[in-house]
Amino acid sequence: MSNRGANSSSALLQPSMQQRVGRVVLIATALVFLAVFLLLPVAAVFTQAFSQGWAMYRDSIHQQDVLSALRLTGLVAVIAVPLNVQFGISASWAITRFEFHGKSLLITLIDVPLAVSPVVAGLMYVEVFGLHGWLGPWLSEHNLHIIFAVPGIVLATIFVTFPFVARELIPFMQAQGSDEEIAAVVLGANGWSVFWRVTLPNIKWALLYGTILAASRSIGEFGAVSVVSGHIRGLTTTLPLEVEMLYNEYNFTAAFAAASLLTLAAIVTLVLKKSIESATGVHQHGQEKESES
Amino acid sequence: MSIQVEHIGKQYGSFKALDDVSLTIANGELVALLGPSGSGKTTLLRIIAGLESPDAGSILLHGEESTEHSASKRGIGFVFQHYALFRHMTIFENVAFGLRVQSRKIRPPRREIRERVTELLRLVQLDSFARMYPDQLSGGQRQRVALARALAVKPKVLLLDEPFSALDAKVRKELRDWLRRIHDELHVTTVLVTHDQEEALEVADRVAILNRGKLEQIGTPQSIYDHPASPFVYNFLGNVNLFHGRLLADLSPQERGDSAEESIQSAIGFVRPHELELSRTLPAKVKAVSASVVRIHAAGPQVRVELSIAGNGRPTTAELDRRRYEELALVPGEKVFIWPQSIRLFDDDGARALLLDQGAGI
Repeated sequence: MSNRGANSSSALLQPSMQQRVGRVVLIATALVFLAVFLLLPVAAVFTQAFSQGWAMYRDSIHQQDVLSALRLTGLVAVIAVPLNVQFGISASWAITRFEFHGKSLLITLIDVPLAVSPVVAGLMYVEVFGLHGWLGPWLSEHNLHIIFAVPGIVLATIFVTFPFVARELIPFMQAQGSDEEIAAVVLGANGWSVFWRVTLPNIKWALLYGTILAASRSIGEFGAVSVVSGHIRGLTTTLPLEVEMLYNEYNFTAAFAAASLLTLAAIVTLVLKKSIESATGVHQHGQEKESES
Repeated sequence: MSIQVEHIGKQYGSFKALDDVSLTIANGELVALLGPSGSGKTTLLRIIAGLESPDAGSILLHGEESTEHSASKRGIGFVFQHYALFRHMTIFENVAFGLRVQSRKIRPPRREIRERVTELLRLVQLDSFARMYPDQLSGGQRQRVALARALAVKPKVLLLDEPFSALDAKVRKELRDWLRRIHDELHVTTVLVTHDQEEALEVADRVAILNRGKLEQIGTPQSIYDHPASPFVYNFLGNVNLFHGRLLADLSPQERGDSAEESIQSAIGFVRPHELELSRTLPAKVKAVSASVVRIHAAGPQVRVELSIAGNGRPTTAELDRRRYEELALVPGEKVFIWPQSIRLFDDDGARALLLDQGAGI
């Protein structure tokens, strides 16, 4: 009995030759794949961006059009992300704290933007708000411009990013349960105090995580925005659109310089995401719950 | 503050969680709501707290109709089964919470809050833990914090929802004694929900037994233990032997009613293990039954003897004190005679208790 136990545990500790080879092959495959499909392209972006030297890089970015694209991208993110945070918290609160008809439908609807191609999302907005769309005549009567203008870009970005916060919060709030909130209510707290003093501190890391994902997507969104933007240089061009336009004009250095900004934004996102994960274990709530009970 | 529960009913779909439950809890009393899971005891507690609303009936707190009042306005303290402490706050802040969220008009000044919290932490013997977080405490300590937090707002009623069931047996026993001491000190009207009959009988002034949404019986621990009103209560409070049989003894005239046929009827009888007498020889004056010893559990102050009676499917249990057991020197397999010192009879569907002269046969 004890003999067999010792054998099996030593087998676990010292893998056979075959197992070792298998492991090396798997790891090597993963690394090669990453290098070819991820690291190499990222390196290429920066190489191209700096191919004409630092001065040229700086000049490319300092072009009027690139700067205004950068500003627009920032503006869209600043509008879309807070609205999504608001929506995400409300939806998660409703879904995890109340029973109501149509709850499962709401959960499904939240996923629609992830399932639908962004181009389709853009087209939907054109169909609704465009000149020949459902609301088009009324909008043009009142001199309101949505499609081929900034509001359309903001709307498309909100649509594409709205699942991110809610999808982070719902499982997290489900795992936490509502006991603490009920306790706060019984102790005399009103809804406002319950939210600020109990709910928000408990969900803050998951919320920040979702917010970062939403922000990163709203900065990088191309498809939906491309449909509704109209590509008016300096007015309705976001940074991803500007990259494409520069590229189509064979202005490679400028295109890659602008692209390097987006890449940097992505790297910052990844670093933030990783540090939240390791600081709080947001993505380990399963285990957290278990060890607690 | 007194609590009056009047004809409360609550239904979840087709499931009747509570069915016309009425009871009154006097000011300063500690009442346990006891029942198996699904009996409606927690639902009733949550309705008293205002966390659920009843479909029928009303709740009066201190004689005042309160059914429609929200939980935050009822002036209650609530202790949850899984503590529900605020995990991102220190122990001190947890206890202070109820005071801090009070509206500016009635909120005590900072210094007073600090004094009150410190005093409460001393009461629950956790004053040295004030700066720690809930996850640094053991289960028993957390539940004491939860109690201090509930008491901080000076509730007129304290409601506890299976507060000790997540704790291990030893801590549970300690906390139970300690809860009783705190209650004796503060005299807050207290309702304790539990499925543990020992806990209920030991702590409470009165015990209300619920079964399938109905109140089966309410009374002092001794009265419900000695005089269970129904087969369910008998079964629920401790071990019991159940006998089916036909009633041969004479019933008193009131019991018999008008029809003579009713005097012989089938019945169920309950005998607690310690009420069973046991002997090797056939006793002279009482009717005894022969049984054989199946197993003996001799660990503990009482010795439990498992017996089997010919023709009776379920095993019968007798409890002897050690001295009697040593006198008898029983061995498994041998034949003995058993008879009840007292027996409680109910008619077949358990609806009616029957009176019986002592010593009647089974």
